[in-house]
Amino acid sequence: MLVPVDCPRMETRPLGETGHDSTITTFGAIALNWLEQEGANQMVEAVLDAGVNHFDVAPTYGDAELKLGPKLRQHREEVFLGCKTGDRDYEGARHKLERSLNRLGIDTIDLYQVHGLETQDELDQITSDGGALDAFREARDEGLVEHLGLTSHGDPDLIIDAIDRIDDLETVMFPLNPVVMAKDDAEHDYEAVVERANEENMGTLVIKAFARGPWPDTDELPEEDRPYSNWYQPVDRPDEIRERFSFAASQDVTSVVNPGDPKLVSMVLDAAERFEGMDEAAQRSVIEGARHDESPVPQQLHH
Amino acid sequence: MDVPETVRTALDDRSVEDTVCLEAGAGVGNTTAGLLEAGASRVYAVTNDPDHAETVRDRVVCGEGAPDDAIERVATAEADLRATPLPDNSVDVVTAHGLFNVVPPADLPAVAAELTRVAAPGAHLVVDDYDPLPEDATMRDLFAVENASAELADGGPALTFYPAETLSRLFTGYGWAFDRERTLLDSVPWTESHVAAHADAARESAASLPPDLAGPLTTEIDRLAAEIGSESAGRMYSLAFRRERAD
Repeated sequence: MLVPVDCPRMETRPLGETGHDSTITTFGAIALNWLEQEGANQMVEAVLDAGVNHFDVAPTYGDAELKLGPKLRQHREEVFLGCKTGDRDYEGARHKLERSLNRLGIDTIDLYQVHGLETQDELDQITSDGGALDAFREARDEGLVEHLGLTSHGDPDLIIDAIDRIDDLETVMFPLNPVVMAKDDAEHDYEAVVERANEENMGTLVIKAFARGPWPDTDELPEEDRPYSNWYQPVDRPDEIRERFSFAASQDVTSVVNPGDPKLVSMVLDAAERFEGMDEAAQRSVIEGARHDESPVPQQLHH
Repeated sequence: MDVPETVRTALDDRSVEDTVCLEAGAGVGNTTAGLLEAGASRVYAVTNDPDHAETVRDRVVCGEGAPDDAIERVATAEADLRATPLPDNSVDVVTAHGLFNVVPPADLPAVAAELTRVAAPGAHLVVDDYDPLPEDATMRDLFAVENASAELADGGPALTFYPAETLSRLFTGYGWAFDRERTLLDSVPWTESHVAAHADAARESAASLPPDLAGPLTTEIDRLAAEIGSESAGRMYSLAFRRERAD
């Protein structure tokens, strides 16, 4: 009997209530910063060929916006674009948004995010009169941006507080990986962020899924000798990348952002294309492996 | 302290709240921490290893993140698990998390009888352990050398991996009703830290042997530890039983 061949497509999931179904991997366009224009064009084509439909960029990623521009304009309809600003006041946020639109050469950003929220003071500032969110909302009224989001690798409690205080927030981006999930204290409880965001039916975007740990001390490994541009040490073998991707995408989240170094992107695309879910016993196995790699407790014979 | 997911998963369908518990073979106290988190009123952490008793105290009772009342809820005891200081019918939840792989076959009946003796009617028993490793796992070779060294040095194996069914039938034979089996880890991550710990244990046994035996065993242990690095292999399971009530 002949069996019809079905070309697999990368899985998509609803990005909260935005109406967009995002692929389970989001292209973190910071990777383009370390490529020349021709290489950047090729990488965007490869990412689109893999079926990825959600990109994320920021003005602070070197010249990633400029290098993303040409291919983004060529394929604008295929890409849901997230961008962000670290400016906390109206003036700064408005200026950064206009600059990003200009550098990218487009009319609308699909998702505009508060970038890297770190402190309660910053949350107070963006939500106050004349704060960054005033600029976000004005831009949304003008059609310059479609949806509002927030990114943070700060305290989970702070992120949850932001979700509670900003009613029109539609997505949240935060770290999640087995190293973090093995830790039970509040400082590492990003699972609570997932839970809260899902209660609010928000889109959830995962960063640092591929972090192995901090780089060795600079005495031991000078910064210029690091083999990857990430500010943490990433996992870098195909089997590890696949395991970390499957682990992250098996949490109750929308999409997983690739690590920033361009050398790792194709492995992440491959992992996302081949994603089949990871059962709970296998997830626990990944968490246990991470826990013992990191563990400060006495060496143990068991799990 | 952080409770391992294996422990949490093994306990999450047991009623632990306000019960008296026994962690048999307390190791570094991971299950004691899990039982405290699940609301146990009292946990006896029993181990035959004095270092372990001290580790449980330092980590689970006095360590960072320990519940304030841990000192009232936990008692550690250094005792042989074939003869614990606990009275008959006194424990509501008995756990043996990663215990039986360090109980040699000859001691199985006495340990099973003792865990049964202290269990109250209606008590829960949770037995978490590893299936025998697949034949192609290099980690299995390291366990083989660890066992060879221990047999020669102490007259018994360091580790015995009992299939889930073996322990299940053992405890039903002691009057426990089988409740359920879960897979905790599949596969089991034998990390660099585990490999190093087992290699160290094997070297320690080998070191007590005459040099003509110790030399080649140690060479093989070193070779295997270097070859393995880390390996994911095998399965860790959780069995749960209920002690039948004497009606």
